Amino acid sequence: MALLSRQPWLVASALLVPLLTLASPGWLKLVGVPPAWSVIWLLPWALSEGRRAGAAAGLGLGLLLDGLHPGSASLMPGLVLLGWWWGRMGRKAPPIQRSFSLGLLALLGTALLNLSLILQWALLSWRGVVSLQGRVEELAGGAEALRQAGPQASLLALPLWRWEDLSLVGLQVLLAQTLLTALLAPMLCSLQLIFWRQVGAGWRGSSL
Amino acid sequence: MAPVRLPRVGALLPLLRVWPWLLVLLALALVRLSKGALLTDAYGLLSRPFWPGPAQNEWIRSAQSIGDRARLEQLERENRRLRGLLDLPAPRGPRLQAAVISRESGGWWQQLVLGKGSLQGVGVGDAVVAPGGLIGLVASTTPSTGTVRLLTDPGSRVGVWVGRSRQQGLLSGIGTARPLLRFLEKDPDVRPGDVIFTSPASTLVPPNLPVGVIQRINADADPAPEALVQLSAPVDAVDWVQVLVP
Repeated sequence: MALLSRQPWLVASALLVPLLTLASPGWLKLVGVPPAWSVIWLLPWALSEGRRAGAAAGLGLGLLLDGLHPGSASLMPGLVLLGWWWGRMGRKAPPIQRSFSLGLLALLGTALLNLSLILQWALLSWRGVVSLQGRVEELAGGAEALRQAGPQASLLALPLWRWEDLSLVGLQVLLAQTLLTALLAPMLCSLQLIFWRQVGAGWRGSSL
Repeated sequence: MAPVRLPRVGALLPLLRVWPWLLVLLALALVRLSKGALLTDAYGLLSRPFWPGPAQNEWIRSAQSIGDRARLEQLERENRRLRGLLDLPAPRGPRLQAAVISRESGGWWQQLVLGKGSLQGVGVGDAVVAPGGLIGLVASTTPSTGTVRLLTDPGSRVGVWVGRSRQQGLLSGIGTARPLLRFLEKDPDVRPGDVIFTSPASTLVPPNLPVGVIQRINADADPAPEALVQLSAPVDAVDWVQVLVP
């Protein structure tokens, strides 16, 4: 809470992320895919504030963004991991401020975030199919004909990704979002990094 | 030496005097032979500023729209009467107009956010239609907004049937612009170009809303034949939709 009260900019700018996600204009999309605004915001914050603040911001941002989407896959694990990783990198290594480095980190982060979603959907689909087969076997009660006919027909209605669709669409979304975010990140992340370092120096100095 | 007279030129002198009139006559003959082409072209060019403008076109469209609406109301009345005779469930209630305030039709989640929510009567599960047909169902609501899961979203499942052959199937979003129709029968009587509608057997959506057109069929798919469907409503272009409130 102390951090929040000292950092009104943190709350205000973090709230911009879901708003930008909702309002992404068509001209800023590649094959209908918007940039990962969460990555563009989280990268400079985590680099500036460290791993704990980065992971906490990733968690908060994930909660905000998950509220915008129906479905069971979550952005939270990916964002928390990215916040932790970038925060650690910001403290352990020499300060990162070159545009190319920021673009590269954003590219890797967006790819990892999308991979985390693909992994979750693949796991959820696999679990759905397995549990459905189990239920059908229970219902069939040993009747071979029912056991063979059941799961296949039920799979029609399973509301999840099929692996072939996931791999096809997932790859397209991953590539488009990664490219777009990596192109925007050098400019937007540099400005935010300068801002967070100035503001952070101010409030850290006043708290001493 | 006496001057030489040219009697032939003298005979042509009257003709030389009337040559402009001959040219006029020739032009008129050309106009006649060309079925008035030059004349009508000139008329078209001169009268262009007075041609019927877009306003008049809109009047005609408006009149046509009024006629269509009256015809639709008549058909709906007839439909209600016949449904009553057959003891079929009554169709849904009024249509609520809502603006699209956010659009995410590519990427992981395919959804629209509408500018109307539970306070205005939008509920979870309500069907949402755009010019052209069904585009999705309301997945969640807030007091002032509603989120529509599009038919192309991987979590979307809607029961449909083929208008021509009455073959039932399940329309499943697969994350691309064209959802997949999985038939419930092994040998469905369908072909590319068939129009599909929401199924009367479905409890989720009102029956017989147009959905799209079958583009490609994979008869060898497992466990049932599949078809790719081009949605008839242009999801990427609609700015206003109608929510079918029960």
